[in-house]
Amino acid sequence: MSWSRRLATLLPRAVERDNGGTEPDPRFTFANERTFLAWSRTALALVVAGLGIVQLLPPFPGVPAGRHLLGLPLIALGAVLAVAAYVEWVRSQRALRRGDPLPNSVLPWILAATITGIAIIAGIVLLLSALR
Amino acid sequence: MTGPQGQGRPGDDPEERDPGLARERTSLAWTRTAISFAALGGVVLKANVISGLIVLAVAPVVWQLGRVSRGRATRNDLPAVGATRLFIIALTIVAVSLLCFLVAIFGRSAPLSLR
Repeated sequence: MSWSRRLATLLPRAVERDNGGTEPDPRFTFANERTFLAWSRTALALVVAGLGIVQLLPPFPGVPAGRHLLGLPLIALGAVLAVAAYVEWVRSQRALRRGDPLPNSVLPWILAATITGIAIIAGIVLLLSALR
Repeated sequence: MTGPQGQGRPGDDPEERDPGLARERTSLAWTRTAISFAALGGVVLKANVISGLIVLAVAPVVWQLGRVSRGRATRNDLPAVGATRLFIIALTIVAVSLLCFLVAIFGRSAPLSLR
């Protein structure tokens, strides 16, 4: 399947017209939706954290770009996480309709990589600031 | 898997008989998501008033989106999945992130060299 074709299957209209398989138990549909919403809130939390770091923290002495180094990636990854959560929801809903096993989720991986990366940058910034 | 109405043995699990609890949990999740938007709006407000008001205005919209009836989720001829509104939420978060990115760079405490 071509790239654009694959992208088109993610559009809401394509998802709602999907009539492969059978309508899943509504509880599963609800649970899938709640999972999407929980990831959306996680994405928003990343954005809040990023904005808070840049705008509300005092600057790191000696590392003028420190707050931006920490905050801007957090905000960008919030957007990435929101899109990934939607894609994940589509894939899960499709699997539920067809009775397939649920696809492996990349979202925990994205989140763990984000937190690890930010923690490493924070450590470096603090160290530079302390050694100034 | 038992059917939507739980034709199996009713009584073990209240949800076997009634998807109402799942529906209610989902509706509460929508409320929490709307509150998250409001919380973000509050933080943005500290940095840039206009952007903050924009994000705050998104919160009641999200709340209303969550209240939109999905119809009878058990009927086959109706789209049981609210794909559109979830798509809207994802796009809104992307837009809000972009706004926050700009506010972070150009906001109150911003330009890199001035601090």
